Amino acid sequence: MTMTGSTKSSRTIDGNVTPWWVRYFDPSDRALAVLLLAPAAVLLAMIIVYPVCRLIYTSFFNLSLTSGLPAEFVGFENFQFMLEDPVFWQTTGNTVLITFVTVPGALVVGLALALMANLPFRRQWPVRLSLLIPWALPLSFAGLIFAWFFHSEYGVVNDVLGRFGVEPIIWFNSPQWAMAAICLTIIWKTSSFMALIILAGLQTIPRSLYEAADVDGAGRIRQFFEITLPLLKPSIVVALIFRTITALQTFDIPYMMTNGGPGTSTATLAMYIHQNTVSFLDLGYGSALAVVMFALSMCVTAVYLRMIRTKG
Amino acid sequence: MNFKTSAALLVAASILSISAGAAYAQTELKVYISSQHQPDLWRQALDKYEASNPDVKVVIETGGNTSEAQAQYLNTVMTAKDSSLDVLILDIVRPAQFAAAGWTSPFTEVDMSAYLPAYADANTVDGKVIALPAFADAQFLYYRTDLLEKYNISPPSTWEDLRQAASVIKEQENNPDLQGVSFVGKAIEGANCTFLVPYWSQGQELVTDGKLTFDHDAAVNALSLWKGMIDDGTAKANIAEVATDDVRKDFQAGNAIFAVNWSYAWAQAQGPESAVAGKVGVVPVPRMEGGEPTTCLGGWEWSVSAYSTHQEEAHDLVKYLASPEVSKFMAINGALLPTYGDLYTDPEVTAAAPWFANAKAVVETAKPRPVTPRYNEVSEVIRTTVNAVMAGVSTPEEGADLIESRLSRILR
Repeated sequence: MTMTGSTKSSRTIDGNVTPWWVRYFDPSDRALAVLLLAPAAVLLAMIIVYPVCRLIYTSFFNLSLTSGLPAEFVGFENFQFMLEDPVFWQTTGNTVLITFVTVPGALVVGLALALMANLPFRRQWPVRLSLLIPWALPLSFAGLIFAWFFHSEYGVVNDVLGRFGVEPIIWFNSPQWAMAAICLTIIWKTSSFMALIILAGLQTIPRSLYEAADVDGAGRIRQFFEITLPLLKPSIVVALIFRTITALQTFDIPYMMTNGGPGTSTATLAMYIHQNTVSFLDLGYGSALAVVMFALSMCVTAVYLRMIRTKG
Repeated sequence: MNFKTSAALLVAASILSISAGAAYAQTELKVYISSQHQPDLWRQALDKYEASNPDVKVVIETGGNTSEAQAQYLNTVMTAKDSSLDVLILDIVRPAQFAAAGWTSPFTEVDMSAYLPAYADANTVDGKVIALPAFADAQFLYYRTDLLEKYNISPPSTWEDLRQAASVIKEQENNPDLQGVSFVGKAIEGANCTFLVPYWSQGQELVTDGKLTFDHDAAVNALSLWKGMIDDGTAKANIAEVATDDVRKDFQAGNAIFAVNWSYAWAQAQGPESAVAGKVGVVPVPRMEGGEPTTCLGGWEWSVSAYSTHQEEAHDLVKYLASPEVSKFMAINGALLPTYGDLYTDPEVTAAAPWFANAKAVVETAKPRPVTPRYNEVSEVIRTTVNAVMAGVSTPEEGADLIESRLSRILR
């Protein structure tokens, strides 16, 4: 199907044929940009904007599929209920706690791993591979594996502690120990992702800077704080954005390890949303909770973006 | 290949397939069975049905090895009005929710009086028969006949008797791994029964006609009973980690004198891999001091999806699956308690599982868990609270307060 020779075509200065529809639309640069961005914009609208709007809309309704009743507009009732709901506060508190513990934790461990992996080993691949494995493991597997590690009777952690004369700990019987076990697992699981991004950043730092520092007599530690860390900042910020958002959405690992127990003392906001929507089919309240989580994630992203912009 | 040829082929193919369909006229029904419920055995029952109904082909879809996992899956499928499943197996706690949501198509002209009364009730919601019973179940007290005989102790009828028996045996046996009693303390469906059985035993109901009838003292007593047994060493300290199948495994490994469990544990406890084969006794669950004997009613039900496109065939299949013939087959081959009273004393059934003869009386005293469309929420409140009390995070008083305040909101 070709338009060449069509009566509607005309020749440009350099002799090429301009198709009729190009002349018809006569796209300026601006219009062309809009045209080219349109497919992506439509796709985003369908898979992100629409669901988010729908979520906010549903959060103002009393919509429970188990009741058999039609949706009823209730204004801010779901949000009011949330303020009085102790489980909402507990799960939100747990989510914030997990974020504050595991994000810096994963950063420190990830940075250390990246620095180690960047050392001039004769063979690089075993080091890099061992960095990748925790990252490649599905979250729920990691949760399941560590649930067995921390099992009070059959777990390897208590076995090792026992060899040092430590009394066995019933990890999942106490909110503090259970939370500690969850945070350790999350740090183990996520620090390799941090390390990967930081390692990429490390490799962009020119060797010549360190050579110059050597000549000027700067020690290893000084080199780290004066050269490595400042030049790594952009990679670290990117890694932190991703890590913080996934930390706010923590679901799989506590779900598999404790399922929120004992009681609801290690449940996260994401688990509470899942419970309300999938188990209770209370879509109104579940949506209201999800709106709060969405707002939290947006705030965190805004803060980080501002950080990048001021750095730039 | 040009358009005309492909179009011609397409037409030819559809004509062929229509005529082939007419020649066989076979309906394919998809039956959802959870993987914990011996799908292989149900397959044998379905094969028999296919043999006598050549126009119906039945396919099994398995999934969800716990009641909660299964409920989550079905919630998703039914919310989407998916027509791919025709027949569903449901936990006894679900018919009320499914009826309220309109996910099942009711049965008409079925004589429910043929079933044990508890199952006729559990499957009838607002006068409509929502599902037909697949098999019965209840919680029992399993015990070690060898240890009780050794110390000349008779099976306990109250929890206090059990505590004393356990304390004597544990002291004499001097085995640090031996638990007095094992029960569910993990926050799973079974933990509801952990709370409800001693609560009911004090003559109290939790929900009456969909309204909360909560007795605070009875709830504190029920939670204190179990917490007390952890504190005095009758139960192990990490009981909050113990799920239904862990109870079975601990008992089967010879690490528990008593265990509260469902009927399914029998076959494995007496099986070739069991350390206690031939030393297993089953009696009713003990009662509270001065209370009445009771237990938790279990069992599963067959229902027809409201979105099935083969309503008539699916209803016929369910009537067969819930028939005395299949109930007897599953009792003999799968150790599943029958839903028909007279099968408990059927000689072929008692030859396979002798204790079934005494089980009917227990099933008849068993009480159903609260009947409400919002059962999932009720269940979550009770089981997480039981778990928190067993772990020592909340006291029995705090636990009772929490159950009361959260349930009164759900069941208002």
